[in-house]
Amino acid sequence: MEKVLIKTNQLQKRYGSVQVVKGLNLEVKSGEIFGFLGPNGAGKTTTIKMLTGLLEPSEGEAFICGYDIRKQPAEAKALMAYVPDQPKLYNKLSAREFLHLICALYRVPKDIARERSEQLLSLFGLQDRADELLEGYSHGMRQKVVLASALIHQPQVILLDEPTVGLDPASARLLKDILQEMARQGAAVFISTHILEIAERMCDRVAILKDGQLIAQGSPEELRRKTGHGGESLEDIFLELTGGQENAELIKSLEEE
Amino acid sequence: MKIVLPPPLANPPQRQSFTSDFILLLKNEVRVAWNTIRQRPVKTFIGVVILLLLAISLIGSLGYFAYGALKTMPLQIVQMFLSLLFLGGLTGQIFFGVTAAFAALYMSDDLELLFMAPVPLKVVFAVKSLSVLVSNFLIALLFVFLPGIFFGILFHAGATFYILSVLVGCGLWITGTAIAELINLLVMRVVPPHRSKEAIGFIGALTGILIALLFQLPGLLAGSRGKLNLADWLSGQEQSLRIMDIFPWGWGSLALMKGISGNFLTGLGWSLLLLVVGVFLFMGAFVLLERGFRFITLKEGEGGRRRKPRSQTVNSDKKHPPKNLSYIFSDIFSDQTAYPASLWSGAWAVARKDLLSFKRDAREWFSFLIPLILMAFFAGQYLLSPSVSSRSSLITVLIMYTVMFSGNMALGAFGREGESDWLLNSVPLAGWPVVWGKLLSAVLPTLILMEALLVGTAFALGISLNVIIILVPSVVLLSMGSSAIGLYYSINNCRYNPDRPQVRISPGASLVMYVVNLLFLLFLAFGLCYLFPPAELVSIVKNLPPAAFKGGFRSGIVYGLYYLSRPLLWPAPWRTLVGIMMAGGGWSLIFFGFMAATVRQSKKGFRVELVTGVKKRR
Repeated sequence: MEKVLIKTNQLQKRYGSVQVVKGLNLEVKSGEIFGFLGPNGAGKTTTIKMLTGLLEPSEGEAFICGYDIRKQPAEAKALMAYVPDQPKLYNKLSAREFLHLICALYRVPKDIARERSEQLLSLFGLQDRADELLEGYSHGMRQKVVLASALIHQPQVILLDEPTVGLDPASARLLKDILQEMARQGAAVFISTHILEIAERMCDRVAILKDGQLIAQGSPEELRRKTGHGGESLEDIFLELTGGQENAELIKSLEEE
Repeated sequence: MKIVLPPPLANPPQRQSFTSDFILLLKNEVRVAWNTIRQRPVKTFIGVVILLLLAISLIGSLGYFAYGALKTMPLQIVQMFLSLLFLGGLTGQIFFGVTAAFAALYMSDDLELLFMAPVPLKVVFAVKSLSVLVSNFLIALLFVFLPGIFFGILFHAGATFYILSVLVGCGLWITGTAIAELINLLVMRVVPPHRSKEAIGFIGALTGILIALLFQLPGLLAGSRGKLNLADWLSGQEQSLRIMDIFPWGWGSLALMKGISGNFLTGLGWSLLLLVVGVFLFMGAFVLLERGFRFITLKEGEGGRRRKPRSQTVNSDKKHPPKNLSYIFSDIFSDQTAYPASLWSGAWAVARKDLLSFKRDAREWFSFLIPLILMAFFAGQYLLSPSVSSRSSLITVLIMYTVMFSGNMALGAFGREGESDWLLNSVPLAGWPVVWGKLLSAVLPTLILMEALLVGTAFALGISLNVIIILVPSVVLLSMGSSAIGLYYSINNCRYNPDRPQVRISPGASLVMYVVNLLFLLFLAFGLCYLFPPAELVSIVKNLPPAAFKGGFRSGIVYGLYYLSRPLLWPAPWRTLVGIMMAGGGWSLIFFGFMAATVRQSKKGFRVELVTGVKKRR
């Protein structure tokens, strides 16, 4: 049976009187690539930050590999990797030093760490500049370093926030291949993106968030069926669902299903 | 390509002890610090050595006055002096500690990464707190450890005294850092995350001003030599200084005094008490810091204090525009490609953008506070020794400073664009609108401040209204000329460092700008001398023997000056005419010349050089 690796139960986040995430219920299983979609300000990054333990939920629970992120953060974090949209790194470390640090933080044995660092540096084409300080790296290169650091400790769950921003087409393709391989090996991939083509091609299931509320969830095919737009792309469905007030009834009907 | 990845872990790895996690993060901090030092250019090290020499000479001069006086004092007075010194040290530590804690805990880029790692948050905060403690060491060394050791040497104390000295030093060092961390926690509650960089700039600038004030101390002491007697002053304050004994810095001085009088055990008691209180405070600060940070960062996040409830009165039609966009496009691009607008509105838009930045960025305010502080020094000096000469010198200094300050403010004009330089280069405003806008934004706040300062000071000094009326427009013209020079050097030498956004110009260009500004002043001074010839100068010029050019630079200068002085002896109408031509022509030449050159460069496009650490991009 496929194991549920990411689970949220009535997850909420409030800033004062403003509720930015409203009672989110999600489940992502082992081997699944889950696309998390929504317009700007919908609450995607807030949700991801709550899942990673970087932000405490106002109410509700989040479980990673069965560990409550609030009560057993160390266990949950040890099995998870996070790729933020803005790669904040130690500017005064080289890529190789950074990967070694991540290995040490995640308790990867030294010999394996060295071997795996070299493999990943080579995979992302960073080997020639691996000893340069990260402050001299471009956004795309920094993103590659973050991706390498996310893969190095064999996570069961990987959460990615707009991972393709700044990547060249070859690297974006490489990322897609890596994520698919991870899912094939049984990891759960949670990816937030605005590029709906990626979501449509890669994701087994997608969820659409609007104003902090989950308005649709299912495989792209299921969503097409539910909305009654058989031949249309995910982009059309997304735009229709996240559009104006006139779609309220359609969303309501999806929620009822 | 076949991608080979290791399979995901089935179970989390074994937890590590607090110590091993702590050592791991500490090693990382040390590696980052080492890499930072390694990347610094040699000139930075030379600068550090020069600064260290300056600091040593400052300490030396302070020590000369203070310790020299202490030799003749009774021990009780010495104890009070030590209390005062320790209080100063503690204040310094708190001040620097707040900045260090703010940078280490609030502005640190690695927090997200560390919070995501399977390492307990306690370890992260322990390492960060240690880094704050280390950054406070220099102040503790200068104001706590060294005074204690010097005291031992001065009073020929035994070896055991130095144990007390180290214990007291450690106690005050830890106490100062703990208080700094607690204050930092309050600062973090007040300052929203998006203004953290401003806050650090603000605190940094405040520290700079305090250091500047500290550097004035030797001068003040030297100036008041013979009038100030430290022992008399301390004896007079005995009653109020006795209160010091109930505070930790008082315990420190008590411990050292007991050590000097041979009562080691009592001294040990006081020093241990200080150390225990320090450790207790530090631990308390550590726990509160962790909890506070958890609340600020993990509970509120970056959006916590920024988000405001959305307006409930938004018209649903406006919130959700109609899907059919064709009519919107037809409305926007109906029949004209661009609306005709005056260039003035473009210039004003550029100026307004900068003026808003002055208003909204607290770091910008400090550049305007510096002249006020400097003027306060001069005004204080005048109040202490008022005379006609110091009155005129104060006004001269004010005018000179207005000119230099205007140039300096204009120097930062194009660097302020930072990474957004593409905007002014891409809009159809290049040339006069951009340059006039920049001139306006540089000149307006400077003029308002300096004119207010000049007129206010002039009235306070009792300078006649006629002179003030002449001063006001003269300063406007001087300021504009100086700003034009500043703008020219700004557009050609602007730079931007994200770590130090207030440094917007290369040091060489800044220096050249000051020299050109001085020449501008000299040029104008000749013209003004012809217009309002000073009687003393005219009498000197009358008695000058005729000069002849004998070849060589020196002779050329003397010959030139001789001929420049001749119009002073001409009849008034001719002299005035030459004066108007020289002052007006000189000003116009400088102002319009530099403005035109800046406009030419603006039309070609300007580029803000991006400087990050030692690496330069673009």
